[in-house]
This record gives sequence, C-alpha cells and structure tokens, in this order.
Amino acid sequence: MPRYVMVIDVERCIGCMACIVACKKENNVADGYFRTRVVEEVRGEFPYLRMELRSELCNHCENAPCIDACPTGASHRAKNGTVQIDKQKCIGCKACILACPYDARYSTPEGVADKCTFCEHRLKEGKKPACVETCLGKSRIFGDLDDPNSEVSQLLKKYDASVRLEFAGTSPRVFYINKKFAGGSL
Amino acid sequence: MIELSITGTNAITFPHLEVWDWRIVIYLFLGGLSAGIMVMYSIANLHIPKQPVEEIAPCIRAPFISFIILAVGAQFIIFDLGSPFHLYWGYLTFNPLSLMSWGTWGVPAVLLANGLYILAVIPKEQRYRLKFPFLIKISEKLTLNMRPITKLNFALGIFLGIYTGVLLSSFSAIPLWNNATLPILFLVSALSSGAAMIVIIAKKAEIKFLFTKIDIWLIVAELVVIALFFYGLYSSPAPYKKAIAPFFSLTSEHFIFTIALIAIFLLLPLALRIKLGELKEFKDGFHGEFTKAQILRMNIAAILVLAGTLILRAAIVYAGQLTKLS
Amino acid sequence: MNLTRRDFLKIAAVTGGIAVAGTPVVKSVLALGKKPVLLPQYVPTTCEMCFWRCGVIAKVVDGKVVKLDGNPIHPNSRGKLCARGHGGIGLLYDPDRLKTPLINTGSRGEGKFKKASWDEALGYVADKMQKIKEKYSAESIALLTHGTVSTYFLHLLQAFGSPNFAMPSFALCRGARDVAFEVTYGENVGNYERVDIQNSKVIVLMGSHYGENAHNSLCQEFAEAVSKGAIVIVADPRFSTAAGKAKYWLPIKPATDLALLLSWINVIINEGLYDKEYVAKYTVGFNEVANSVKEYTPEWAQKETDIPANLIIETARIIGKNKPNVLINPGRHTAWYSDNVQRLRAVAILIALLGSYGKPGGIYLNPSKKLEPVFLSEKDYPEPQKPSINKGNYPFAGEEGVTHSIVKATLTENPYPIKGWFITQTNIMKAMPNQKDTLKAIQKLDLLVAVDIMPYDGVMLADVVLPECTYLERHDDLFTVKEKAFGISLRQPVVQPMYDTKPGWWIAKELGKRLGLDDYFTWNTFEDFLKMKCKAWGIDYSELAKKGYISFPESEKPYITADNEPKFKTPSGKIELYSKELKEKGFDPVPKYTKHEQPQEGWFRLIYGRAPVHTFSRTTNNPSLWELMKENTAWVNAKVAKRMGLENGEYIVLINQDGVKSNKVRIKITERIRPDCVYLVHGFSTTSKLLKKAYLRGADDQQLITRYTIEPIAGTVGMRVNFVKIAREV
Repeated sequence: MPRYVMVIDVERCIGCMACIVACKKENNVADGYFRTRVVEEVRGEFPYLRMELRSELCNHCENAPCIDACPTGASHRAKNGTVQIDKQKCIGCKACILACPYDARYSTPEGVADKCTFCEHRLKEGKKPACVETCLGKSRIFGDLDDPNSEVSQLLKKYDASVRLEFAGTSPRVFYINKKFAGGSL
Repeated sequence: MIELSITGTNAITFPHLEVWDWRIVIYLFLGGLSAGIMVMYSIANLHIPKQPVEEIAPCIRAPFISFIILAVGAQFIIFDLGSPFHLYWGYLTFNPLSLMSWGTWGVPAVLLANGLYILAVIPKEQRYRLKFPFLIKISEKLTLNMRPITKLNFALGIFLGIYTGVLLSSFSAIPLWNNATLPILFLVSALSSGAAMIVIIAKKAEIKFLFTKIDIWLIVAELVVIALFFYGLYSSPAPYKKAIAPFFSLTSEHFIFTIALIAIFLLLPLALRIKLGELKEFKDGFHGEFTKAQILRMNIAAILVLAGTLILRAAIVYAGQLTKLS
Repeated sequence: MNLTRRDFLKIAAVTGGIAVAGTPVVKSVLALGKKPVLLPQYVPTTCEMCFWRCGVIAKVVDGKVVKLDGNPIHPNSRGKLCARGHGGIGLLYDPDRLKTPLINTGSRGEGKFKKASWDEALGYVADKMQKIKEKYSAESIALLTHGTVSTYFLHLLQAFGSPNFAMPSFALCRGARDVAFEVTYGENVGNYERVDIQNSKVIVLMGSHYGENAHNSLCQEFAEAVSKGAIVIVADPRFSTAAGKAKYWLPIKPATDLALLLSWINVIINEGLYDKEYVAKYTVGFNEVANSVKEYTPEWAQKETDIPANLIIETARIIGKNKPNVLINPGRHTAWYSDNVQRLRAVAILIALLGSYGKPGGIYLNPSKKLEPVFLSEKDYPEPQKPSINKGNYPFAGEEGVTHSIVKATLTENPYPIKGWFITQTNIMKAMPNQKDTLKAIQKLDLLVAVDIMPYDGVMLADVVLPECTYLERHDDLFTVKEKAFGISLRQPVVQPMYDTKPGWWIAKELGKRLGLDDYFTWNTFEDFLKMKCKAWGIDYSELAKKGYISFPESEKPYITADNEPKFKTPSGKIELYSKELKEKGFDPVPKYTKHEQPQEGWFRLIYGRAPVHTFSRTTNNPSLWELMKENTAWVNAKVAKRMGLENGEYIVLINQDGVKSNKVRIKITERIRPDCVYLVHGFSTTSKLLKKAYLRGADDQQLITRYTIEPIAGTVGMRVNFVKIAREV
C-alpha cells in the first residue's frame, strides 16, 4: 500500500486559485461546492504586514475521524491508503461532516457526502492530482512517502513540516513545509 | 489584526457548521424522552415487587407512548438523511467506533424491546386488541418472562438515553460536544423528561406522586451537570472556552443562546420549586388523592421540564456548530 | 404430434434465426448497466480567457469539453493553467451567452433586442455601412477592437477604406510602456513582456501584482524566483500578494513612482553601482541623465513618496549590488497619470544602467527568428481619402490607435464626422474612462455594431449584435510566440460552435461579401488560410494541429554573448538614455518629475487592479469563476474606517469628485492599504441585465473614472486621477 502524501510549500503559493477550479472541473464538482480552498492570512498593522497563502484540502488522515463516524462503511480507507467515499453506501447522515475538523467534507445536491479523493482516478493512470498538476507556483507536491526517492520524501527529510490542527490527533497526510530552516546541505 | 480571506468554502461548513438542524434536535429530544419513559416504566415495574400484571396494567400506556415517540423520532432522523434509500447498507455492517452505527442497530433494537414489553405487559382482557393470533400467542409467552424483558427495557432505555449524548461527544471536531460530561447530561435530562412525561400520562395518583419525587432528584442532578458542563468547558483550552461563548453573548447574533441558557435555568428550578411545593403539602404523608389544582401544578411542572429538555438539546446542537476546533 | 424432418428443419431454422437475430438483443441486455466507455479526445488549442494566450489541451468526451489543461510544450502555460484558463468551460456553457444575432428595436443604446438571422443582421449592417459611405465617407466608420477578432475586422475596415481603428490596449493599457521602450531601446519590451523573472536575484515591482495578476508563466517564474530566494521589492500603495512575498514593501504615495525611480537612479549613479562597462558600450546620454537626476536625492524623494530615505538608499544598493540579474519590472497596465511615458522611460533607463537588458534575470532579447508576414489578403487596401483621426496629434501614438481620439472625433465631428462604430471584443463601457462621453458619442452614430461573445455593457448599447463563438469553437490566426524561443501556436475548434454563433473570421468574411469586398477574403474557410500560411512559413500544419505548438529552439538567444550582440534600432544605434527623438518633438529627453494632484482631506484616490480569478469584466458572469468572487470589495484603511465608524463587510457607496455615485459595494476594512486610497478590483458591476449572475454586483471603478489625463507624447491615458468620498449605503 503506497503512502500518498501532499507537501505544501506555502512560500510558493501565489494565490492564483487555479487549483480550486481545476479540481472542480476534473471531478465534476457541483456549482457552489469546493473540494479545496485557498487561505490568505495577513497579520500586522500598516505598514508592517505579513502574508501567508496556503491551500487546504482533505488531509486523508491516518487517524481519520470521518471513517470512525461512518455507520455504513461508505467512508473508508481505499487500497491505495487514501480516504474515499463509496457513494452507493452513503446514507447522507452527515456525521462525517461533523467529525472532520478540517471542513474537508460537504453534502452534495444528491444528498451524499463528498470530498477530495486525491484524484484517485488520475493516480491509477500514474498522473498527479489535478490541483498539483496545475499549481502555478509548484506549491503542491504529491507523492509516495514510502518511496525514499520521491520528491515528498526528500522535502520532508530536509525541511520542517507541520500539519493542520496537530493536537486533534488525526495524523494528517498533508504537510506544510517551512523552508527557512533546512536540515543538512546534501 | 488578522485578516482572513478564504476562497473556496462550502456553505455547510463556513463560516460555521450548519450540518444538523431541527430534525436532529427533535430526534434527540424524542429519543431521550422515549429513553426516559422506558427507564421509568421499567423502574416502576421492577420496583413494584412481583405484583400481578393486572395491578400494573395502567402502566401500559407508558410503553405505548414511548414506542410511538421513538418511532416518530426515528422518522425525523430518517427525514434528515440525504440518501435514505441506501440505509440498508447500515444493516450489512456494524462499525463499533461509529455512534451512528450504534444508533442504526440500537434504535430498532430498542423499539423491538419496547414492543416486546408492550406484548408482555398487556393485560389479559386487552389482548384481543392485538388482533393477530400470532401476536396474542407471543404475548402470552412473554408475560411469563416479564421481569427479564423489563430489565432489558431498563438497560436499553439507559443505552438510548446515553447514546444520543455519546453520539454528539464523539465528534472531536466540535469542541462544545466533545467532552465526557455531555453523555451524562443527556442521560440525566432524558431521565428527567421521562419522569416528567410519566407524571403527565399517569392516571394513578401514586404513580404521579412517585415520579414527581423522582423527577426532583433528576432535575437537581441535571442542574448540577449543566453547571459542570459549562465550567468544564470554561476551564479547557481555547477552542473549548470559545465554544460556550454564545451562551454568554449579549450581541444580537448569539443572544438567543443566552436566552436559552437563562430559560433552562428558569424553567427547571421553577419546575423544581413547584414540585417541592407539592411535596411540602404532603409532608405528613401521601393520602392517595390529589386536588385538581395540585394535578394542574404537577402537570405544569412536568411541561416545564419537557420544555427545558427540548431547549437544552436545541441549544447544544445549534451552538455546538458555531465553534470549530481551529 | 409427429415431428417430421421438414418440421424439424423449419423449427431449427426459425429457432436458429431467432438465436442469430436475438444475439444483439441478448448482448445489449447483458450490457445493460454497463455504459460504453467513451474515450476522451484531446485537442490542443490556444486559450483566450485573458490575453496571455496559453497553450491549452482540451479534453472532449462525447462532444462535451470536460477539462482544460495546460499544454506542456507551450512556453506560456508549461503544462499549467490559471483559474481563468480552467474556467473556460464555464464560458463555453454559460447560459447567458449570446446565442443569435440581435437587432435593437428601441432607441440607440436601449438594448431592446429582437432575434435576427445572420442574413438579416449582416444585411442591416452592410446596408448601413454603405449608406454612411455614400453620405459621408468610408473613413467615417471606426473600429474599437481587442483580441483575436481584431485580425478580421481591422482587415475588413481597412478594405472598406477606413484607417480609423483603435485598440484600447494602447492608450488605456500598455501603450506608454511600449513607447518608452521603443524610444529607449528601439523595440518594445514584448507583448509577452520579456522579463527573465526566474533568474532574477532582485525583482522590483512598481505596482505590478503578480499572483493577483495571473499571467501564467510569469506567475510560475515569480514563484520559482521567490523560492530560490530572490529579493522582491514592491512599490505599491496596497499590500498585494506580490508584496506578501517581498522583503521590502514600500507603501508609496500614489502618483510619486517616478520620484522613487529617479531617486534610485540618483543613488545608483552616485554610488557607482551602475554597470560602467555596459553603459559605455551600449548606451548614449549617460551624462545628461546623471546631471538630470542630481536633484532627486533620497531625502527629496522621501518627501514626495512617503518612503524613508534610508529605505530608498538601502533598496537602491540592493538593486545596484545585484546587477545585472535585477529585474525592474516594466509592468503592463501603465495608464496611470499624465506622465506615463516619462515614468516608463525612467524604468527603461534604470534597466540599462544596471546592464540588465539582455542579461539573465533582466530583460531577455528577442528570439532570433523572423517570419515574413502573411496577410489575410494579397490585395492592397484602398488609400484612404481622408486623414486618419485615430492617432490624434500625439507624435508617438502607436499603430494600434488611440481610443479617445476616436471618441473625441465622434463627439466633435472634427475634422469629419464619425458615423459608425464597430466594437469587437472590447467592453467599451468598462475599458474607456468617462462613460458619459462614450454614451454621448454613440448618440451621434448612425450605426453601432458589436461583435462579442457575452452580452457585456458595451454590447447592450449596439444596434446590431453579432455573436462570436468562444475560443474553444473557432479557428484564429496563428500566434507568433516570442518567448525565449520563437514558436507558433494554433487555435482550432475543440467543439462546434454552439447556438447560432459564428467565428469572427466568418462574420467578417460574410460582411465583406455583402460590401463587395470578396477579393479581400479569397480563402474559403479560415483553416484554408491557416494551411496556406503554414505552407508559406514551412510549417507542417498537421503536426501543428496535433501538438498545438511548434517551437524553434535554435532561435533562443536571450542573453548578450560574444556572438550575440544586441542591435538597437534607435537613431543612434545604441540605448538612448537621453532621447533625442523626444527632444526633437519638444518633450523632456530625460524624465523630469512632476508633482501630481493629491486628494484633499476626506477624499481618497481611487486605485484599481486585478483579481486572479477574473479577467476584468469578461469573466464576472462566468459560472465557474463567479462563485469564487461574486463581487469586488472596496479596500479602505482600517484607521480611516474606524474614524468613520464603518464595520467590515457593510455596504458603502463611493462618490467621486464629479458627484458620480457608485453602486453599493462591500467595504473591506484592511491594514493593507494606505489611508489616502481606496482600491477596487476592476471590471465589476455590469449594467447588462442579460448577465444574470454579474448584474449590478459590486462597484464599477470605470464609472467613477470620469476624469482622466492624456499624456502628450503618445496620447496614453491617466486613470488614477479620480478622488472619491465614502458614504454609507442609504
């Protein structure tokens, strides 16, 4: 089972929002619903300001509270290690939406739960998720953490990485790296 | 100053969660009420030592009402499902970590146990009402096993009363719900509402009085647990402290939760006061009869309790979705 | 019953026949529930959601475009698309699209349209055009145009006999930059500006806001440069996304950018930080520049710009010390004030002083390939009888024409009346300032024709609306891509035109037919023309159609090397720091600073910019993009808002110095803007009721731009000269 992770280099995100639209088109997401988002945080007082731009999406947690919450097994861990939703089994109870601390899920007009799939259909063809492929800043990097030669493995070895809401204990698979402190010069 | 601008949010989770609404509130209320009634009639049955069925026949109204209330409550939760035709998948698996799964299996189990109890307790003269001969046969058999069935009802009533609380507290993403006090609170409030309901529907004066007394303890317990609930959250880290803010908010947006809290702390003690007043009247001993005024006061107190329980659940369900973990 | 042999055979035959005949039935019954998998088609083309024109590969399934992706081999997309690029599907399937030709049955500008056939609509237009030609002259018909449709209508108009066309992109956008660089270097800095961002050690942005301005490859390179540790210096009254990546955000007082530039030049010259070798070898006029900037000290500049002198010196030193791998970004939309060309001249001069023109990280040189132009027709245009009015009296006005000259000529009928306007793929109400003038001008016309895709504000004013299909449904002329290497990009239809819309070439050709101009449109379909053009250029059309882009990598010669010496097509053959050309025409040969009017107390300068999910007013109705930004907001400084007692998100109105009141707009109370400005993203609040999503959402900055300056050198416009008051929405 591969261990797919996404590494997000926030320094590279320029807030172009291409990922949001590419994801919607690739996955036929209904109008008004989004599987990924871009967060812009500006702190400080004029003229001393600092900005952080980052994208957020389903973290495909190793300790996914959404899988625990699902009564029918619709939310499950697929063979490739990602968290997926079997729409046929989903009864639309929305417990998984309440369980997710990352606002990653929503309820489709058809009444079932939906979220980012890490573009599973593209992974099967050896392609990267749509958001990763289109990211203008190359801020999203995707790969198999179990492969020591993958770009994600190299990045996580070298740089400080954090996850969203670490204290929630979900063990996310989306890492945000801070390149200011790099370990080693190899 | 932090300026936050997020592009690509879903209305259901932003700016705050709007996932569960009045349908779930009513289900939680009716479920809790049914649980409370089940526990109460089980207690009544077990408490009255090995009396013949005829004596406790009037108590059949309680299990009937609890059955209907739970059945109706379940309709509300099914009404809330986005894709109810897939519900059979819930019966092809059981996920012990999912409280919804416990509920999927548990609610029918409770209804079944409740139904069995009705069949066990229905007096001989009323059996013809069952119409179907196989039901009458089952009823005859079950009457012999009334005590175990009653114990089962008691256990499942406790389960139903506490599981609604555990369901909410299982969501680690919702700080207001995610604590150990909530299931206790829901159980106590369910029992209290059950006792109140029994007071209203009971015909026999002794039953009415008995459950008025029981409810006094439960209301006291409920008030204590509510206080602990709020204090526990207050003395917790930031997201949890923030979660109770709506209840103490004077801004127009969240004022309704402050009103709800005030209402709960008015209605419940008021009901308590009335009930204690009743007790005082009988401190020389209960002589088995009530005046119309006394009955009216008891019923009013019971209605206040029910209102308080409903307001409590509504407030907790809605307020919980206002604050996130982040 | 006895079964005879004959019976048996009969029965067997019948049964066998049924079996054979029934097999497809059985097969299809078995196939029930299993949809036949439709293989997707991938068709390369070129995007036109903005004017970066990235290579796109469209994924088509069962005749429907389901995804758009960047063409990996196209230098402008490099395999990626921005939000607008992906939103092309929204444009294609926008229910509010123009579907049929429309003819206005009400008064001019009323927009009371009835559906018409192409025959009817084209006949109407041709008829009116002939009448204007007879009564006045062919030159009385003018064209305001933008985008690829310009190719056909410039051709048509000139074939008809009129030289009067203008592209808003000149006077209202990048004209000043192009003129300044032409005067200095003998060539403009490129439509894909030749900025070598990814190799820059220092990137200086004067108001440019990459990230919000989502020009694909530039954003990619900007992110790359930032990641590599480039020092970004941003001079902008607003803390943009680019400023968020900057080491130095200089919150410059608006209209004082020239002061900063001149002061930088002052420091760089004084401290000897300029590239002495480069200046000696490639430039003329250094001494004049050095003398001229003596007065522009950092202390002086501090008073003008509100930027502390020590910061000016510090940033000048960083710029100087990192030469030549420094990019002084020339920007794109430079229609700010009355000295645009001079301001961009300062940029051009600074670039030369740093020796960064032709060096990595600076401005790279044009690819070394040139192809002979192939015209739409070999036939010469008729010589106009009357003088053209599209360049005004501006000596350096570009060939693209000056929009306000046409408006003025129409209003004043001076030197002769302009009686017909074609507005093709440009929303004149949102592009041109002083909307009142535009509305007055169109009342003077006998004919107003709009050719566009969506019912924009300007389109709604027309007598006749001719609906063009989207870029995904048509051929257009080959794009010569002059990035580092030379390349040819193709636009071909990905799906057939929807509704009753037609490609621009067809509209022009059909109209040409009715005007007796068949000789100018000898090709049958535009693909025939493209094939012919490819043949003339020695390009394999079928290969181009398959790949979408053909590159000539050997043409890549971006930097000055021993065997790649630059040639400057200036009068002196060198980089003209001091411009004799300008002097001869009576302008300052070296930029001089002029103070511009600042807003009084209680007034705020209206500044505007871009959003990453929109292309001005073109996309505000796009279903895929609208949901990401439904309306713009008015950025107001937090202290100002507090003083006025305003709350974040509440609706306000902006009232400008001429009393024009904007539509209600949400306030964005922010620390990210100077207290003397209010910022709006350009292009919102359409007045077209047919744009159901975008109608009246947000505030229209162009509505508030009622006064504008015209700089005398090239006639470019200054639109940042309006002041507004803030009021609560009543």
